[in-house]
Amino acid sequence: MNTAFIVFWAVLLFGSIAWYGFLVFYIGWKAGREIRELTRNLSKNS
Amino acid sequence: MTLTALDWIIIALYLTGCLAAGLWMRRFVRGVEDFAIAGREMDVNLGIASLAATELGLVTIMYTAQLGYEKGFAGAMIGVIMCAAIWLVGRTGFVIGPLRTAGVMTIPQLFERRFGSRARWLAGLFVVLGGLLNMGIFLRLGGEFLVYATGIPPGWLEWVMTALLGLVLLYTALGGMLSVLVTDFLQFIVMGIGIVVTSVLVILHIGWGNLIDGLSLAWSTTEAAAAAGTAATVTTEAAAGLKAHPYNPFHASSFGWGYLLWQFAFQIAVATTWQTQISRVLAARDADTAKRMYRRTSFYFVGRFLLPALWGAAAFVWFAQNGGLPADLTSITAMPHYLSIVLPMGVMGVVVAAMLAAEMSTDSGYMLTWATVIYNDLVHPCLKKPLSPKGQLLLTRGLVLAIAVFLLFYGLWYELPGNAWDYLAVTGNIYLASVFTLLVAGLYWPRANATGAGAALILGAVGPIAFLVLGKSYNIAPEVAGASSFGLAALGMIVGSLVTPPPPPSAVARQTAETSTQPAAA
Repeated sequence: MNTAFIVFWAVLLFGSIAWYGFLVFYIGWKAGREIRELTRNLSKNS
Repeated sequence: MTLTALDWIIIALYLTGCLAAGLWMRRFVRGVEDFAIAGREMDVNLGIASLAATELGLVTIMYTAQLGYEKGFAGAMIGVIMCAAIWLVGRTGFVIGPLRTAGVMTIPQLFERRFGSRARWLAGLFVVLGGLLNMGIFLRLGGEFLVYATGIPPGWLEWVMTALLGLVLLYTALGGMLSVLVTDFLQFIVMGIGIVVTSVLVILHIGWGNLIDGLSLAWSTTEAAAAAGTAATVTTEAAAGLKAHPYNPFHASSFGWGYLLWQFAFQIAVATTWQTQISRVLAARDADTAKRMYRRTSFYFVGRFLLPALWGAAAFVWFAQNGGLPADLTSITAMPHYLSIVLPMGVMGVVVAAMLAAEMSTDSGYMLTWATVIYNDLVHPCLKKPLSPKGQLLLTRGLVLAIAVFLLFYGLWYELPGNAWDYLAVTGNIYLASVFTLLVAGLYWPRANATGAGAALILGAVGPIAFLVLGKSYNIAPEVAGASSFGLAALGMIVGSLVTPPPPPSAVARQTAETSTQPAAA
């Protein structure tokens, strides 16, 4: 029983590290572009 | 002091960049709508960055690490439940879909359309009360991390907290949600790098096999001592501290079924009701953007609990193998002290900057959210003559300042009745249970009326307030206080609505029309 739980937590843990690492670059790139678009829209509307 | 000149340079660069970006956004604020919900221009990836940054504060890292220290990996089960709840809400659009479509700025505003102005005001009051009490311990726990991780003298804690809050206050009060979104983005990046680097270094330092063996040994030692009816066989003070099963959250020594079931209801309520999360839903371009933002952010919440829990569990094993926890440390301060040992020069600067990022993004998001609710739902309905746009902005900024002052003073004197997570969950419950009940009934039950709403709001707050005031004296379990508030709120809504006349068909019809079609302004 313990082994199943350990495997469960290990998968989630290493998956989380990989996911956080991926998000930093992916969301970083995409959200950066969205900020540019957002400020452009706000400038247009003001 | 464990920080070097290089670490301080990294921290100073980060703080300057954040402040400059926050102040730069001020130029785009034209009115309260821009200030509170960024003119509803936020797209999905920026929403993910902002939601993730706001909901992962330094306080989160402290209490999740404490759960890891006390309960091992099982302490991260709440993150798994949170992930499931957010994904489920994002998949179905339960509550958040109609809420975004309604085009409101806050949840209580929706209640006015369905249940009348009194329900809006009362809901606003509970939202603010629960939210501010919840936020009250953020600064204290954040300050404790900085003291123990950087080695600055404990006497500086209040001044460090004040300076940090002053910085956040400056860009939040001037740029509102627009500044919060941009600084959240920077903080998301810095925080992500810091969390990944720290997790890898912690695993390398403690060793994965050693961590698992250490936790298993501590638990089997405790079990053996319990079986023998004595603590004599417990080898170290730290090993005696692992009173919960480190891997199985359903075990009676860990959370147990009752607590986890309450947490599932609680997390569904958080995902649909917690105003700081909902403000991102309301700032989204449309309901579909909000749902995608939820689905894509959901797995982030596993790491939100599990990675700091790893640091806490590693601190536990390290202290257990090195003579036990020093007398001046506790389960909550063990992790930052351990990190100050593990992290090398330069990396420590990045990690402290990341933790400052976590603290700042959470403080700014929360201050703005509660100020918006106070203005929108408590002050605005009482005004006979509406304020000018300039006056509205000035008042909302003044409220942000007032919340900052409250935070400083409350954070300094309040003593936690239990562990930090229980405090946060129960204070959040003051409004979560009742507002969740009102939202679900208001959106999906045509028979719900104003009397039921009033009864649900008041009854839902009874359990959590009893825990905060009497929890220590009468040993009230947090899950009892929390679960009872859901039951009482639902009971109040059902009985209150059924024993009084049904709502006028026009109120139900108007809300149905507003929540099922996209308003032109949105």
